[in-house]
Amino acid sequence: MAAAAAASSSSTASPKTTTERRGIPGAEFVEDVEIYLSQTGLDVNSALAFLQERLQQYKLVEMKLLAQQRDLQAKIPDIEKCLDVVATLQAKKGTGEALIADFEVSEGIYSRARIEDNDSVCLWLGANVMLEYSCEEATSLLRKNLENAKASLEVLIADLQFLRDQVTITQVTIARVYNWDVHQRRIRQTSTSSTAKDSIT
Amino acid sequence: MQQGTGASETEVTWEDQQNINKFGRLNNRFHELEDEIKFAKEAIDNLEDASNELILTDEEVVRFQIGEVFAHVPKEEVETRIEEMKEVSSNNLEKLEEEKESVVAQMAELKKVLYGKFKDSINLEED
Repeated sequence: MAAAAAASSSSTASPKTTTERRGIPGAEFVEDVEIYLSQTGLDVNSALAFLQERLQQYKLVEMKLLAQQRDLQAKIPDIEKCLDVVATLQAKKGTGEALIADFEVSEGIYSRARIEDNDSVCLWLGANVMLEYSCEEATSLLRKNLENAKASLEVLIADLQFLRDQVTITQVTIARVYNWDVHQRRIRQTSTSSTAKDSIT
Repeated sequence: MQQGTGASETEVTWEDQQNINKFGRLNNRFHELEDEIKFAKEAIDNLEDASNELILTDEEVVRFQIGEVFAHVPKEEVETRIEEMKEVSSNNLEKLEEEKESVVAQMAELKKVLYGKFKDSINLEED
């Protein structure tokens, strides 16, 4: 088994882990369980406890990232709807007719509005702030927000993928440490029962 | 999906770990795609219903939802808009279905590789 361990550790010279990504610690890949346990100086139960705790931490971070992802995924269609409205208003500008729209005054109550030809719209920027922009400025601001949201979402998705990989590595390591321990116990058991047999005979 | 390695002496190499990780990522993407495909199909159904209603109605001006308000839009323009939206939605659906097929194929490949090495020690099925 020592020869196999040596062979497996020499075959892959590529970097085995990224140490961390944006605050998420990377999971160390274990080439050989015995070497890992002697390097860290932990016994099996401590190693398993440490790995389980790591797994819990990963799960917490995963939930946080998933919540952020849901928020972003809701924000993007909203921005697209705003762009649609501004585009419609701009299209109406040329024709000279007013846009008549039914809007929600309160839940379940709608009223009719007559939107005259004008060059500006007001955009809600958050934090109780609303600014007036020309249609073109509004379109470019909304487009920029949309780009930022989509870029943030991509980064978030990459973070989640990295995190899930670390979770998988940790789960596999836990299984291997546990199995190694079971294997060791079995070996010890067969050796003690054979020495018992020898002493009886 | 469980990814346990059983009580055998098979060594897990870095390459194996990378394959297992890739399988996990693909499986997640597969479930996401299934949800997205469900939404896309619902959207197309809604657009179909909308265009059917349009044909039946005899009003000249239709209240069409743009953003959060319902704008009064002439019927022909609404028809055009709905056609465009249906076009976009069905292209989107096609792309999603293609991606799903590719993901399923990659997962099948990885299953062969991983079951080949680990046999019973690994479980790659849905629970």
